[in-house]
Amino acid sequence: MSDAALLNALLWLPVAGLLGLALLPRDREVGVRRLTFAVTLVQLILAGWLLVRFDGALPGLQFATRLPWIRAWGVGYHIGLDGLNVLLVALTAFLGPLVVAGAVPAVRRDVKLFHAMLLFIQFAMLGTLIAQDLFLFYVFWEAMLIPMFLIIGIWGGERRIYATLKFVLYTAFGSILMLAALIYLVYSLPQTGDLPSFAFEYLYRHTPSAGVQRWLFAAFAVSFAIKVPIVPLHTWLPDAHVEAPTAGSVILAGVLLKMGTYGFMKLGIPLFPAAAWYFTPAIMTLAVISILYGACLALVQTDIKKIIAYSSISHLGYVMLGLASVSVLGIQGAIIQMVSHGLVAGGLFLMIGMVYERCHTRELSDYGGLARLLPVYSVFFMILTLASIGLPTTSGFTGEFMVLMGAFDTAWPQFQQGHAAPLVLSASAVLGVVLGAWYMLWFAQRFLFGAPRAPHQPLADLGRREQWILAAIVAAVFAIGLYPQPLLRKTEQAARQYQALLLGGAAQDVRR
Amino acid sequence: MSWPAILIAMLPEHLLLGGIVALLALEIANERCPGAFALALVATAAAAIAAFCLHVTGYAAAPFPGHYAVAPSASLAKFLLLAFAVPVLLLSRDEFSQSRYFALLLSSLYGACLLVSSASFLTLFLGLEIMSLPVYALVLIAFQRPDSAEAALKYLVLGGTATATFLLGTSFLYGACGTLGIDAFARALGTADPLAATGAALIVAALFLKAAVVPLHAWAPDAYEAASVPVTAYMAVIVKAGVLLAALQLFGSAPVPPAAAALIALLPLASMLWGNIAAIRQASFRRMIAYSSIAHAGYLYFAFLGAGPGRYQTIMFYLAAYGVMTLLAFTALPGAGDDAAQDRLQSFEGLFHRRPYAALAIAASMLSLAGLPPLPGFVAKFLVFRNVVAGGHTAWAVLGLLASYLGLYFYLRVIQLMFMQSPANQPQPTHARRLAWVAAVCCLLPAIAIAIAPGWLLDRL
Repeated sequence: MSDAALLNALLWLPVAGLLGLALLPRDREVGVRRLTFAVTLVQLILAGWLLVRFDGALPGLQFATRLPWIRAWGVGYHIGLDGLNVLLVALTAFLGPLVVAGAVPAVRRDVKLFHAMLLFIQFAMLGTLIAQDLFLFYVFWEAMLIPMFLIIGIWGGERRIYATLKFVLYTAFGSILMLAALIYLVYSLPQTGDLPSFAFEYLYRHTPSAGVQRWLFAAFAVSFAIKVPIVPLHTWLPDAHVEAPTAGSVILAGVLLKMGTYGFMKLGIPLFPAAAWYFTPAIMTLAVISILYGACLALVQTDIKKIIAYSSISHLGYVMLGLASVSVLGIQGAIIQMVSHGLVAGGLFLMIGMVYERCHTRELSDYGGLARLLPVYSVFFMILTLASIGLPTTSGFTGEFMVLMGAFDTAWPQFQQGHAAPLVLSASAVLGVVLGAWYMLWFAQRFLFGAPRAPHQPLADLGRREQWILAAIVAAVFAIGLYPQPLLRKTEQAARQYQALLLGGAAQDVRR
Repeated sequence: MSWPAILIAMLPEHLLLGGIVALLALEIANERCPGAFALALVATAAAAIAAFCLHVTGYAAAPFPGHYAVAPSASLAKFLLLAFAVPVLLLSRDEFSQSRYFALLLSSLYGACLLVSSASFLTLFLGLEIMSLPVYALVLIAFQRPDSAEAALKYLVLGGTATATFLLGTSFLYGACGTLGIDAFARALGTADPLAATGAALIVAALFLKAAVVPLHAWAPDAYEAASVPVTAYMAVIVKAGVLLAALQLFGSAPVPPAAAALIALLPLASMLWGNIAAIRQASFRRMIAYSSIAHAGYLYFAFLGAGPGRYQTIMFYLAAYGVMTLLAFTALPGAGDDAAQDRLQSFEGLFHRRPYAALAIAASMLSLAGLPPLPGFVAKFLVFRNVVAGGHTAWAVLGLLASYLGLYFYLRVIQLMFMQSPANQPQPTHARRLAWVAAVCCLLPAIAIAIAPGWLLDRL
């Protein structure tokens, strides 16, 4: 089978799994779990193979499929991997089986529907990542909404309905703006070809005039910024995270939030380079505000899930900073930071789910000295905490360090030319690292150390299944931390192309 | 006028008429009339097949020149209307067995078919009236609630107002242009002649009233709530489609002049806004669907802002997607003790745990009506706004999209009730509704086809 066919198989396997689930009777819960796990495992193998086969030195798309879908509109089924999405596809596929395995005990009601929704969201997320056609992208982008709505709303906590409606209504508002902008982009601008086309390649080459770009970029950016989320559009996130079941939180933190940053990277910036250049100071400022504000809020939370939720806002601020830095280092750092945050935050949410299963509370003050009560758990938790802080040898360090290097790389020459703002912002972002260490270590101190205290004692330490899940995540965290070179090589060419595109946009903006 | 042309061109109508006559004869012969349902179903299906064949063969004729003309596009519209009637008939089986019910339904369909082939205001008027008059009776025929009579009367009076407005507009137009051909309408829209412009505006107002566009919508929630399930489905889908297709006949594919564009855009926009907002507060499913259909009338009329062949395509596609998904919701409605209990949104609580497939069908329908991909409603919504943007009305398109965003909430609320609430504790007697499942499959298959291959359908419109 050719590699393009494998990419299609990767995308459509969950749909096949959905059909399989539909045939299983509702009370065959074990069968449902096994089938879902098998599908996600095969996806992981496929994604791993594609990652290995992906040649980072080649420009452009690899393993691409192009088929007409709605011919009259120039809409195609157009998918492929490039340096920007290949790592995120791998991340999505990596988290898939872990989520399925990790969600086992928490879900007791409507098991079949739950697994169907997991497969559905896996399909939608992969589709969003590998779509190379704006219409297709939008369809997948919106399709992610429905399963998440149900996952939070059916299996969530007490305020689940409020949280899920807030999540959907926030996200859908952005989507409506994006829809308006994309219709305008394709149908209202003079098209050079005989037919309009939604293909990214086509749209990259035919950018609208700089004035129009600003409006369209603003619409896309609001949509993506809600998803990331960037302060001040973040208020749905803590609610959604806290109320979501463990699997929902892991998917949300692990992959869904990255869709926002990926959207900026894949669409917002390259489709409207001049506008992106114009708005770069604003994006940088908001990114740094997100880093600092998210960290400050994480500091004062008493709900353990909320601490990680706010830390996500802070960590994704780095991604935005890296994207806005317009340096190869910063862009690559942003991609690594996305992957790293997916692993670390996903892992932390899984661990919080594990302890919640045992103690049924998320209140930090109910806990203490877990290191004595759950030694194995505590070791894993400490490793992930340090990775979240960005300790060298962990993936968090690679991502944050590269982003900050990239930001300073860009800021220093500008400072020498008399623009101090980028340097001040970059320096403030470093402060975020300090704050990050503060809230995470303080959290770990109160959670793991001190006098042993936890409800529902005695507690059973991690079982073998849980240990395997966490071991996989920790292994990936160290792999990226110790030897990121292979992954960086996959993204370098794409980052260069990307930088060239943005600098071209800058030229266009200056010409105006 | 040649007899073979009349015979072939009007074949769908003739088949319906045959059905109506047979049903009436049956009514006279036997009060209990066991075969009425089968007869009506066969007549409708045959008419639908005839319309489809006329479309496929590309048959075009004008058996009554200047009054009645058949073109492939009209045949397709007829097929759409008749095909929608099949699930409605299947739904009717459980609630009605008298042949007079089916005779009324088929008469209304006859009017709808006449409507899409009309070439003059006279035929158009006949079609509108033949379509509407039986529906007043159909609302009343269920008579399961004390307020049915009131709602039917309200509907009748407002429908009569629409008729009068339409006739007044037609006479103005006739006075200004000296012709009853429907192409006078498109010309009148653009002229500065006050008489002709007033005539055109009155006709538009009548069509707005018939399709329940704000502020002429007040009859719809009452009538939808008071009628029985199949009649509500009929009004929400087929009557609405008939009126929109009539509007399509009038507007043709000519661009709307700027002065008229404000009228065409403003009231539908108000319709979307108010329909979507008022639907939030409803406790009755059919009332909610009424407000939803008010909003959808808004989207449909919005499509007229665009010009050219895209307009026909948009209206047809939208009606197909909207009709199929609305009918799907009606076919999957949970059965309950009495009509009022069945209608309460509360009875949806925990539906997923009682009847998962029905809940999934209703959920798909709601999400499609909300316009979320990958469901057919999304492509339909996309088409409408694409047309509006391509017509140069970007600001209206943005406002319309924002109005459509407001609609998301109440559709999601239905899903929330079905999936996220524990089942209501009241005993749930359920009817045997075997045919409803057949009807659901009739809706589901085209819905899936439209969702997977919208391009295939678009190429054929």
